[in-house]
Amino acid sequence: MSTCDFCDQPAIFHDVRIVNGVHTTKNLCQEHAIAEGIQIGPLDLSMVVNLQIDEQAEQNILRCSDCGMTIAQYKETRLLGCPTCYETFAEQLKHFIAQVQDNHSLHIGRSPSSEGTDIGRHLEVRRLLKQLDNAVTQEDYENAAHLRDRIRELHDGSDVHDN
Amino acid sequence: MEAMYMTIDPVSNCPFNSDYSPCGDVVLSTRARLARNLEGFPFVNRSSDADCKEVASLVSRICTKEPKDTGLEWIDIDNYDALTTKLFVERNLVSNNLANATHPRAIAIGPELSRSVMVNEEDHIRIQSIRPGLQLEETCQDVHELDLKIEEVIAYAFDDQLGFLTACPTNVGTGARFSVMLHLPGLRIIKDLERVRNACEGMSLAIRGYQGEGSKAIADLYQVSNQVTLGYTEEQLCSVISNDFMPPVIQWEREARKSLAENQYGKLEDQTFRALGLLQNARMLQLDEALQCLGHIRLGVCLGILDHLVTKTINQLFIEIHPSHLRWKYGRDIEDDAIPALRSKLLREKITT
Repeated sequence: MSTCDFCDQPAIFHDVRIVNGVHTTKNLCQEHAIAEGIQIGPLDLSMVVNLQIDEQAEQNILRCSDCGMTIAQYKETRLLGCPTCYETFAEQLKHFIAQVQDNHSLHIGRSPSSEGTDIGRHLEVRRLLKQLDNAVTQEDYENAAHLRDRIRELHDGSDVHDN
Repeated sequence: MEAMYMTIDPVSNCPFNSDYSPCGDVVLSTRARLARNLEGFPFVNRSSDADCKEVASLVSRICTKEPKDTGLEWIDIDNYDALTTKLFVERNLVSNNLANATHPRAIAIGPELSRSVMVNEEDHIRIQSIRPGLQLEETCQDVHELDLKIEEVIAYAFDDQLGFLTACPTNVGTGARFSVMLHLPGLRIIKDLERVRNACEGMSLAIRGYQGEGSKAIADLYQVSNQVTLGYTEEQLCSVISNDFMPPVIQWEREARKSLAENQYGKLEDQTFRALGLLQNARMLQLDEALQCLGHIRLGVCLGILDHLVTKTINQLFIEIHPSHLRWKYGRDIEDDAIPALRSKLLREKITT
């Protein structure tokens, strides 16, 4: 059982919200739940149990680490949230892609040009994106912000220092 | 901020105002489109307004900074009057989705209104080219050239296995969609359109009505495009339409017209002159009715029943009789109720005896 966000007591109230794909959870003990103005009576025990089950289910849902999209959201709109979704949902997408793409799964068309210095920049962006991914997973937001700025600088090429 | 107005005249700069229109009797126009996204940003459906703004600002450099030779004009949709965007929609240069969205979005457009780049539609970037008649290789080349120039300033989202990554997996891989707008009155009259539908099915091509997905067939106009975008090169996708699909379809339609001209000339003549009569005399024409008549006239012109008109005039009218083009010509504040009368006025002026 998780503990209260404000003290070490067991949490009996769980408020799980997903807004625009961003998942937030509030866990409160009885004392702090009352302090927040939440009324908890004996019947609410069932709710507490249900919420714990929901939380468990929520943890099992596959979610894109970059944009927070779930497969259920994708099925609703048929649109992915970001390039990383292709990796996150690779298994689930395999069947769908084969279906709509005449059983093809490998790109043989042109690739971004490797001429000039820009390919270096392209690869650098890809490398930094991986680092950004790790930084976010490790909740190292200072480093993540730095990496994001660097990626945007690379997108902006030499113009970034003009401003 | 006061709305800006487009400096390009959409009537005199119509790409259909050209005498070069290969297979123009059957093919109205050819379009190529490439879908691209920027690496490091969520796709548009999951982007904040700030993300969209940043993407637009990065892409805008294709117009304002090096390389300058894209020759495109940047139109930040929210800063321009609504009529400008609607004109583009009527020309299939901008989708309804992009026009009606509320997030930051833009279009970069060539002065000839043939090449364009939609910014923040379903994908961050949609590169397009439209040309009269059957010009698949040329439109393919147009978008490829723009793609290379954009690539100089943008890092695309790309995967070695899946190719260019797009918001919808139906576009992944090449991100390329090639389409042709066909006029098939002959095959409709002899009830042989099924043959075209079967050919499409066999070659993984989609056949749709005049205005694309979900639209009905009007004036015997049909759009055919590739469904598959992965597992083939851009040239191969182009070639399926250009070399495998089009030659037989053009032949079937021409044969149908020839056989109708030989066996049912009176009927065709009647249909042509009835349409001509309506366009020359009606005082209030609804869009669908006018398009239908123009379709009949077009067949009449192709068969030599009407020799004082040319197909390029009809092709241009297919666009110019839409509400926003009429407002551009006659006054931007014109009410909806007044449009049918102005449509008839324009048609009477253009379709002379």
